[in-house]
Amino acid sequence: MDKSTQTEIFFGPNHPGVPGNYGIIYEFEGDTVTSAKANAGHLHRGFEKLMEERLWIKNTALVPRICVEEPDINEMVYAMGFEAIGEIEVPRRADYIRSIILELARIQGHIFSIGGNAAGIGQYTVMHWGTLTRDYILDIFEEITGARVYHIYIRPGGVRQDIEDETFDKILDLMDELENERFPDLEKTLFENPNAQKRWQGKAVITKEEAVEMGATGPVLRANGVPHDLRKMMPYAAYDDVEFEVPTYENGDAWDRIKIARDDMLQSIKIIRQLIQNIPDGPVQTDLGNGLKYKIPKGDAYVKIESKRGEYGYYMVSDGGLKPYRVHVRGASTPLGLYGVREFLPGTRIADVPVWAKSLGICPPEFDR
Amino acid sequence: MRNEKELLELINVHLEPQAVEIKREQNVSVELAPKNLIQALSFLKSHSYQHLSTISCVDWLEEGAFELVYHLFSYDDYINISLKTRIKREPGIFQTAKEIWPVAEFYERDIHEFFGVEFKGNDNLEEMILENWQHLPPMRKDFDTREFVNDQYEWRDYNGQKHTD
Amino acid sequence: MNNNFVKGSWQEILDWAQNKSINMLHYCTGCGAIELPPTMTSRYDMSRFGIGPAATPRQADLLLVTGYLSTKTLRRLIYTYEQMQAPKFVVGFGSCTINGGMYWDSYNTIKQLDKYLPVEMYIAGCMPRPEAILDGLLKLKKMINNGEADGYQRYQDNLEFYHQNQEAVLGEVQRTQ
Repeated sequence: MDKSTQTEIFFGPNHPGVPGNYGIIYEFEGDTVTSAKANAGHLHRGFEKLMEERLWIKNTALVPRICVEEPDINEMVYAMGFEAIGEIEVPRRADYIRSIILELARIQGHIFSIGGNAAGIGQYTVMHWGTLTRDYILDIFEEITGARVYHIYIRPGGVRQDIEDETFDKILDLMDELENERFPDLEKTLFENPNAQKRWQGKAVITKEEAVEMGATGPVLRANGVPHDLRKMMPYAAYDDVEFEVPTYENGDAWDRIKIARDDMLQSIKIIRQLIQNIPDGPVQTDLGNGLKYKIPKGDAYVKIESKRGEYGYYMVSDGGLKPYRVHVRGASTPLGLYGVREFLPGTRIADVPVWAKSLGICPPEFDR
Repeated sequence: MRNEKELLELINVHLEPQAVEIKREQNVSVELAPKNLIQALSFLKSHSYQHLSTISCVDWLEEGAFELVYHLFSYDDYINISLKTRIKREPGIFQTAKEIWPVAEFYERDIHEFFGVEFKGNDNLEEMILENWQHLPPMRKDFDTREFVNDQYEWRDYNGQKHTD
Repeated sequence: MNNNFVKGSWQEILDWAQNKSINMLHYCTGCGAIELPPTMTSRYDMSRFGIGPAATPRQADLLLVTGYLSTKTLRRLIYTYEQMQAPKFVVGFGSCTINGGMYWDSYNTIKQLDKYLPVEMYIAGCMPRPEAILDGLLKLKKMINNGEADGYQRYQDNLEFYHQNQEAVLGEVQRTQ
């Protein structure tokens, strides 16, 4: 390769086209990228070391800060790991409430990322609508848990407090408004717009063999025809009591992944309605004694759930003491952000690099930790 | 599609495990000697265990060992399997799994940066997340993070009352 | 060294014009940045006060440090701050900039922001609500109007102090002339 025609530039961390504080260093010739590598580590706080210095219950306040866009999945996986090693049963009403919270978090994450993708190609109206709709869901979270973004609500043994019937009515009214007024507007403005289709069709293609080899899951696999969903393959919480579908498409490009985000939101609305209709009565927390003296026997476990980007897992090790011995975090976009940038970005045009980075759902704090 | 017992029979027949255990539904754990691990990975990959979730490392300071854990998953059986092995803490050298899964290069780079384990065959082990780090690898159990912070940084002075930890 | 090129009441007119049009650098450094899109868009609209986003450091006046800073980001932030043109302001956002916050025992984050960059004011919270951000920015506008926001002059007058603290944490820092 003739080095005199290549130029190297730093794309971000200070750039509106990257999803967060993350950078890509690439070389280009003409208008096409020829080689790339990731510049990660700007958000490293040393979570795994900090978790070993705090008691088991104090970590429930530290853990949501690992993934900023969808913080409830962290609390859920931490509680599941604790309950798996200690063999603790959770009451059925708490399972239903946990599933409702996770589905609401999924809807707000998807609508925010559709807005971010649209801002990447210049459709700023959809960005404003996305942020506004997400705010209505954050109002419901504030009523249930007391905070907008970091809830600290799901903890080992159940959830922190109960939900009243007026709040369930508000959730159902919001679901009706989303399905009947907001989503048809979004459909007409963004999904039937020939400019948006041209910018997204055929770009950032990842095939089925490449995705399985790399370890990418979630929308990246579903856009290639594989109906991968951990809520059906390894059911957790109350997902074995509800019926829903897993949408798939054929081409594996950015247009298919954004359509999967919209279809996932409609399925989540269906799941929330079924859960609220069938929720049983009972307690919401098993009694584990004094919070400052939680203890579980020696052992280890690897637990994982389905986040909006794919498989999200923790590997937890306990040595029978008051603090965790080791917690290892596996983010959903770790292979894409570190390995996928080097192998699959060369060949795209410079104006399509933000489309590549945002439509794959790269979330930097989960692999920087 | 196998269930957990059939999987354990397959492992007992073809590999030489030191211990096997069914932990919970759909979760199995196997312990192996270090010289058998890479061959076990390619055997399982050809029997439908194609998804590598991640590679973890645990530091057992009193026993003088590092424990490496490989987590695999199968899209046919829906079973999670964790393969564990223990290597000596000094000198901390193991073989790479990059020939089987190319993405393992980055998980091993992460373990090298935070624990100091060398992987033979992987020549891309430079710094990725930290920058100009001159001290002990930070995730080891003999690196005390509170002592490091109290030496390196100063705390804010609130009218004469200083931070006491 | 005085950076004011005009004297007397012309400076008051410049201060009044400056507080009505602040350009904020759009750089999300930490986890507090997730509450910036609601503040910038139509629900808690910030552009009715004259504050809007800018893409590059050469075109910005306000650097909003949203949350914690790892040492890797601190180096890039110092380069960014020295590329901005006077008059310029720095606002610390969240409790991590005051005394370390939730990550006080982490080996990779800095504990006090005003040892490395001159800070005008802090906004408390973890993380602050959009209404709290607007309250803080309105106080900053009053400070600019009264001529009290002179962080860039303090940086020039105490250059040795700031450079020494930066090099104690980062090693060697490249300076441009």
